[in-house]
Amino acid sequence: MEYLATIGVLIAIYVILSSSYDLIIGYGGLSTVAHPIFFAIGAYTAGLLAIHSSLPAPLNVILGGMAAMVASVLLAASALRVSGDYLLIASLGFQLGLLQLIKNLDFTGGPGGLTAIPGTVTGAARTPFFLVVSGLLAVATVLGIRAIVTGPYGRAITAMRDEELAFTALGRDATSMKIVIFAIGCGIAGTAGGVYAYYFQYISPDQFEVLQSAAILTMVVLGGMGTTFGPVVGAILLLAIPRAITFLNLPPSIMAPTQGIIFTVLVLLFLFLRPAGIVGLSRKTL
Amino acid sequence: MTAVLRTEDLCKRFGGIVVSDSVNLTIDRGEILGLIGPNGAGKTSLFNLISGVLRPDSGSIYLNGEAIDAAALYRRARLGIARTWQNMLLFRTMTVLENLLIAPRSYPGESILRVAFARAAVREAERHARDRAMTTLARMGLEQTASEMVVDLPFGQQKLIGLARTLMNDGPVLLLDEPMAGVEGAAYETMQRVVREEAEAGRAVCVVEHNVSFIRDLCSRAVFMANGKILQDGTVAELIASSALTELYFGV
Amino acid sequence: MLDPVILAQILWTGIATSAPYVLMTVGFALTLKVTGLWNFAHAGLMAIAFYTMFFAIDFLELPVLVALLLAAAVTGAASLVIEIFGLQVLRDRGSSNLTFFIFTLILSEFIIYVITLLFGTEPETLFKSILSPVTIIGDVAVSDWDKAAVLIAAGGLALLYAFLTWTREGQFLNAVADNARLAELYGISARRAWRVVSAIAALFIVAAMYLIGTHGGVVPNSPLELILTAVIGTLLGGIGRVFAAAAAAVFLGLIQSFSILVIDSRWQNLLLYGVLFVTILLFPRGVRLPRFRLLLAGR
Repeated sequence: MEYLATIGVLIAIYVILSSSYDLIIGYGGLSTVAHPIFFAIGAYTAGLLAIHSSLPAPLNVILGGMAAMVASVLLAASALRVSGDYLLIASLGFQLGLLQLIKNLDFTGGPGGLTAIPGTVTGAARTPFFLVVSGLLAVATVLGIRAIVTGPYGRAITAMRDEELAFTALGRDATSMKIVIFAIGCGIAGTAGGVYAYYFQYISPDQFEVLQSAAILTMVVLGGMGTTFGPVVGAILLLAIPRAITFLNLPPSIMAPTQGIIFTVLVLLFLFLRPAGIVGLSRKTL
Repeated sequence: MTAVLRTEDLCKRFGGIVVSDSVNLTIDRGEILGLIGPNGAGKTSLFNLISGVLRPDSGSIYLNGEAIDAAALYRRARLGIARTWQNMLLFRTMTVLENLLIAPRSYPGESILRVAFARAAVREAERHARDRAMTTLARMGLEQTASEMVVDLPFGQQKLIGLARTLMNDGPVLLLDEPMAGVEGAAYETMQRVVREEAEAGRAVCVVEHNVSFIRDLCSRAVFMANGKILQDGTVAELIASSALTELYFGV
Repeated sequence: MLDPVILAQILWTGIATSAPYVLMTVGFALTLKVTGLWNFAHAGLMAIAFYTMFFAIDFLELPVLVALLLAAAVTGAASLVIEIFGLQVLRDRGSSNLTFFIFTLILSEFIIYVITLLFGTEPETLFKSILSPVTIIGDVAVSDWDKAAVLIAAGGLALLYAFLTWTREGQFLNAVADNARLAELYGISARRAWRVVSAIAALFIVAAMYLIGTHGGVVPNSPLELILTAVIGTLLGGIGRVFAAAAAAVFLGLIQSFSILVIDSRWQNLLLYGVLFVTILLFPRGVRLPRFRLLLAGR
C-alpha cells in the first residue's frame, strides 16, 4: 500500500512537472529543456529553508516556487533579447552550470545531496497526507493551465505561436508574454520541487540532470504537446512502464539502460510517426 | 494643419544597399497616399521603418507631432499605427473571428491577472470586440465566414481578412502593403470601397501598390520611390505623366 | 613565483589538451553554420566513434589504422543515416527548432543507453596504457600524445580551410550556409551540402575521440559533457564563424590549464560553466576581435 501511495505522489508531481512544461513548450512554443533546474531550485530552496529556518512548511514550498519563478524571469529576459532559439542554449547552460554549482557548494550538501530535511508530518498519516496534497496540486495545475490556455489569453498565445511578427504589430508585446508563460511554468515546477523535498526528505543534484529533462520531455511528447491531458497520460505511462519492468528482476546494470532505451525509442517513434502524441488529434505538426 | 504622420530624413542601409535615403513623407488626416515604385525601391522597408519592424540608422518619425522613435513595434501599434502585410501573416490555426479578436488596441482578456480577478470586465471587453469584429466582417460581406478556419478561405477573402484584422485597430494611421496583389472580382471592389470609407472616416491611409488603376482611382496624391529615395511627390496624374518615372518603373 | 618554464609548460599542455576540443568544436560549429542546427546528435556520434575504435582495438585486436578507418566508416554512415532519415524528414515537414533539438538530444541518449547496455559504465581507454613517452624540449615536457594531438588538430583545420576555400564542394557549403534557398536557385543542392557536412563532422568527431580515448578514460556518458565544450566554443567564437570557434576552444583549454595556478582543482569544471554564463549573458553573438579581423582581411 505504502509503495503504491509513493508512486501516487510521484505521479502527481510528474503530472505537475509535465503539464507546466507543456505550457511552456507546447502552448508557448518556447524552446527550453531546463525544466528540472526550476524543479531543483524549488526543492533546494524549500529544503534549505526547512532545515535552517522555522518558517511553516507551506510558506517554504511557496517560497521555493517563487525562487524558481524569479530565476526563470532573469534567464528568459536575458536570453529572449537575443532570440527565441537562444533560450534553448541559454537554459541548457543555466541548468548544467547551476547543477555544477550545487555539486560544489557545501551548504547544498554537494554531490551527495541535501539530507535530513524535516518530515513535517509524521506517522501513519504521512504518505496519505502527501498523496492528497500533491494530488490536489496536480489537479489545480492541470485545471489552472487549462484556464490559461482557453479564452482570450490562450487565443493570444496561439496567435503568438502562429505568427509572432503579425502578433507584435497588432500591439502585443510577445517578449513579455513569453516571459510570463515561462515564469508561470517554472514557478509551478518550483512549487512541485518544494513538495518533493518535503516528501522524500532527500534531494541530490543528479535527480535534476539532463536525463530528467529528457524524461519530462518524453512525457509531454508522448502524451501530446499542446494538449491539456497529454502530459497527464504521458506522466502516468512513463512512471508505470519502469515499474512494470522491475518485475522482470533484471540486474541494475541492465535495468537502467533498458528503461532509458524504452523511453528514447518511444520518443523517437512518436516524433516521426505520431507527432501529435497519444492525446493530440489536431492537425498541428511539430 | 499638422500631418498625422511625418517622417524626417529617414535613413536606413543594409551593408551597401540603401533602402531608405533621407525620406521625408507626410500623410494627412483623411488622405489616401499612394506609394509607388519598382521592386526593391524601399516601399515595404519604409513601412517597416514607420511601423517599427526596422530601426532607422538616422531620422525621426512623428505621430500627431510627437516623436515615436523610441517606441517598439508593439507600442506603435497601440499608438495607432496599423498595418497589413504583403503576405498577410494571418494566424493559420485560428478561425476568421479569432484572427480579428487578436487585433483591438485594448485587450484586458490577455492579462492573466485580469482574467483571474476582473472576469466581468474581461467578458464585457470580449463582447464588445466580438461585436466590432462582426460589424467589420459584415462591411465586407464576410460575416458568414466568421467561424471558418482562415486558411480554408479563398485567397481574395484572406486578403480581406488581413485588412479586417488591421481595421480592428482603430488608430489614426493605416499602412496597406499591396492590398490588391492577387485580388480580383468582388473582393477587389470591396477592398477599394472599404479603404475609401476608412479615409472618409478620418484615417490617414498610405498604400503600397503596383496596380496603377487602383492608385489612380483612390489616391489624390502619390509618391514615387526608387533606390530608397523619394523622386517625386505630386498628384497621380503628374506622376503618370512624368516620362522619366515611367521609364524607371516600367523599364521601357 | 611565476617561473617562465612553468608558464611555458602550462601553455603547451593547455594547447595540446585543447586539440580534441578544437576538432569536435569545429565539427559542431561547421554543422551549425551550414545546416543552422545545434546538432546534439554529435554526442551520440562521439560515443559511436569511440566505442567502435575501442571494440576494434580491444576486442578484435585490429591495427590502429584499421580501427580508425573502421570508426570513420561507421561514424560517417551513422551521421549520414541521421541526416537523411532523420533531419531531412523533419525539414521536409517544416518542423520547429525545438523538434530538431528533441530529436538530436534524445537520439544521442538512445545511442548512449545502447552503448551502456553493451559496454557498461566503466571508464575505458583505447590502449592499455595512456602513458605517452615524454621528451624535454627547452625545459618543457612534450609527450608524444601532445605532438600527435597538435598535429592532428592543426592538420584538420588546414584541410578544412583548404576544402572550404579551394574546392567547389567547399564553396557550395559556404553558399548554402549563407542562404540555402538562394544557393538552390543557382543550382547548388542544399541537401547535398548538408550530407557533405554531416560526413565531414563525423571525421572530425572520430579524430577528436581518438585523441580523447588515448589520453584518458571515456564512459558512455562522456560525450554529453564533451559536447558542452563544443557548444561553449561555438557560442564564444560567434555563430557561423567556424575558425573563431576553434580559437575559442583553444582559449577554453588554456583557461582551464592556467586556472590551476589560481584556483582549487575542484572548481575547474565550474570555471567552464562560468565562461558559459558570461558568454550567454554578455556575448550572445560571440566575442569579436576587430583588430584581429582587420589583420586577416589585410592579407
